[in-house]
Amino acid sequence: MSAVDVVLVDDHHMFRAGVKASLDDRVRVVGEAATVDEAVRVVHELAPPVVLLDVHLPGGDGGGGAEVVRRCVDVPGTRFLALSVSDAAEDVVAVIRVGARGYVTKAIDPAALSDAVLRVAGGDAVFSPRLAGFVLDAFGAAAGDVATGDDELDRLSAREREVMRLIARGYTYREVAAELFISIKTVETHVSAVLRKLQLSNRNELTRWAAARRLL
Amino acid sequence: MAVGLAAHLDVPVAVVRIALVALVPVAGIGLVLYVFWWLTVPVGDPAAAATGARPSALQRLARRQTLLRPDGRRVALADLALGALLVLAAGVLVAMRLGAQVDSTWVLPALLVLVGLGLAWSQLDAVQRPTGDRRRISVLRLIGGVLLAAAGVLLLVGESVGRGVEPALMVQAGIGALAVLLGVGLVLAPWWVRLVRELGDERAARAREAERADIAAHLHDSVLQTLALIRARADEPAEVARMARAQERELREWLYDDRHEPGTSLVAALRAVVAEVEDSRSGPTGEPVAVDVVVVGDRVPDADAQALLQATREALVNAVVHGRPPVSLYLEAGPAITEVFVRDRGDGFDLDAVGPDRFGVRESIIGRVRRRGGTARVTSSPERGTEVHLCMPVGGSSPAPDAAPAPAPHPAGARVGDPDHPAAAGRTDLQEDA
Repeated sequence: MSAVDVVLVDDHHMFRAGVKASLDDRVRVVGEAATVDEAVRVVHELAPPVVLLDVHLPGGDGGGGAEVVRRCVDVPGTRFLALSVSDAAEDVVAVIRVGARGYVTKAIDPAALSDAVLRVAGGDAVFSPRLAGFVLDAFGAAAGDVATGDDELDRLSAREREVMRLIARGYTYREVAAELFISIKTVETHVSAVLRKLQLSNRNELTRWAAARRLL
Repeated sequence: MAVGLAAHLDVPVAVVRIALVALVPVAGIGLVLYVFWWLTVPVGDPAAAATGARPSALQRLARRQTLLRPDGRRVALADLALGALLVLAAGVLVAMRLGAQVDSTWVLPALLVLVGLGLAWSQLDAVQRPTGDRRRISVLRLIGGVLLAAAGVLLLVGESVGRGVEPALMVQAGIGALAVLLGVGLVLAPWWVRLVRELGDERAARAREAERADIAAHLHDSVLQTLALIRARADEPAEVARMARAQERELREWLYDDRHEPGTSLVAALRAVVAEVEDSRSGPTGEPVAVDVVVVGDRVPDADAQALLQATREALVNAVVHGRPPVSLYLEAGPAITEVFVRDRGDGFDLDAVGPDRFGVRESIIGRVRRRGGTARVTSSPERGTEVHLCMPVGGSSPAPDAAPAPAPHPAGARVGDPDHPAAAGRTDLQEDA
């Protein structure tokens, strides 16, 4: 399998260098950008399969990573994986709502980051434990707000809730699959479904977070 | 007014009042001073306001100045003035009845002017008070005051010019006065606008300055000192990592957390526990271990929650000291139960092989939670590490979590606890659902 091409977008040179050094040979960094405008230009030029994107970026209209995703919707085949040190829910939700395929914290270990890039390149969603926690919080899953039908966008199904809980507990997809006696593929399907709900749902909490970043 | 002055001069209110009353006979100085200060002295305690505005390292932004509730006596002041006016009017009427030659033709206009002035000036006092729709009321006051005063002045002028005031002349004079006012207003408008704008700019600048000073104070207090310490001890990687982690935690808390009052947030208490364990405990080879914390929901901690926190702390210490990183901590505060999962990636251990008297798990984790009506379960296997699952019903009413009206019983946990299940083979389960 050939390496996956990645564009790295972060305004800190030191961090970019660190990520570049830590990614293994399954991933190849083909471009870098430090500002919103630069990122939009590079992504349009190279059309990489995956863009590793910092949530907080200078330049553009001040929209940060979310603005990059929005301005690059016309690039086919490019998927975004958000990477941030931020703990703030609105940052995470904002970038997911505009179409990022996942969110990991910068404290992620190198092998896991490479795994995440490959997973996003393959069209799957990537959830960090913290993002899973946000999802459970935002969808009121802890309070027992669980969907009964498949087509409900504003609530998680019982199974999705279970998957999210395991991810929040620090389980990898493989461990989640083993724990629930399902295949990894099924876990990925559940996570993708949750991501879709996160992007399309009109739950108050989500729209409020999005509004906080002027995305509506 | 007297209260405000007393607060400003730091003397008892009574002294101020007596001094003012004593000054009244001296050419009415007391009265004049009272009215002057009533208009100009700000409401509230200046010392308290200054304290409230002082930036503190614990606060994200400087708190807004808090104004005191308007003093009851101050509200009565307006009524007092009105009462005095009415008494004056009554006195004049009585005097007229008694045959005194009061030239009533100028008394009424003069009273009108006084009332109008009083209304217009009283808003200076009102503006300083934090009342609800004061803007509307103050505008009404101003309009009423101007109308009354204008009518009074016109009547007075008519009086002094001669008996018969011609309406046409009156209108003409009114229009002339308006034109002059308008002209003066037009000339002064730019100056006024600039003044208002400068005031706004200055306020914004001061707010920014307060925020900047706040952040600078915080960075100086914590971040700079930590960086200096790290540089000084750069050859001790474990210590450097620990300091960096502690600083990161503190900065995150400062940036992202909602500031909870002490004792109102289980999550805040949990974070404090995690901080303590991270700072004081090291892994098997002496390296500091970071705990990955994820929380969902929050509640006000009670005695049960304290027991849960203590048990969580023991589980964390076990995971850090005997397990292998990454250590994950997950807390979910649902409506009926509070659940905690502590997980490490160590080699696991055989609970049965540990004597009941020797191991802290049995008493400090499981016993502690069980006595409060909760459940504790330890799952350990060489491939998957150790996971401690603590479950505490809210209010301590229901003994077991699976019996509680939990939205979705935890299938994974239930399965792990099932000894007949093939998945449980090769693992050590300790289940104490009593």
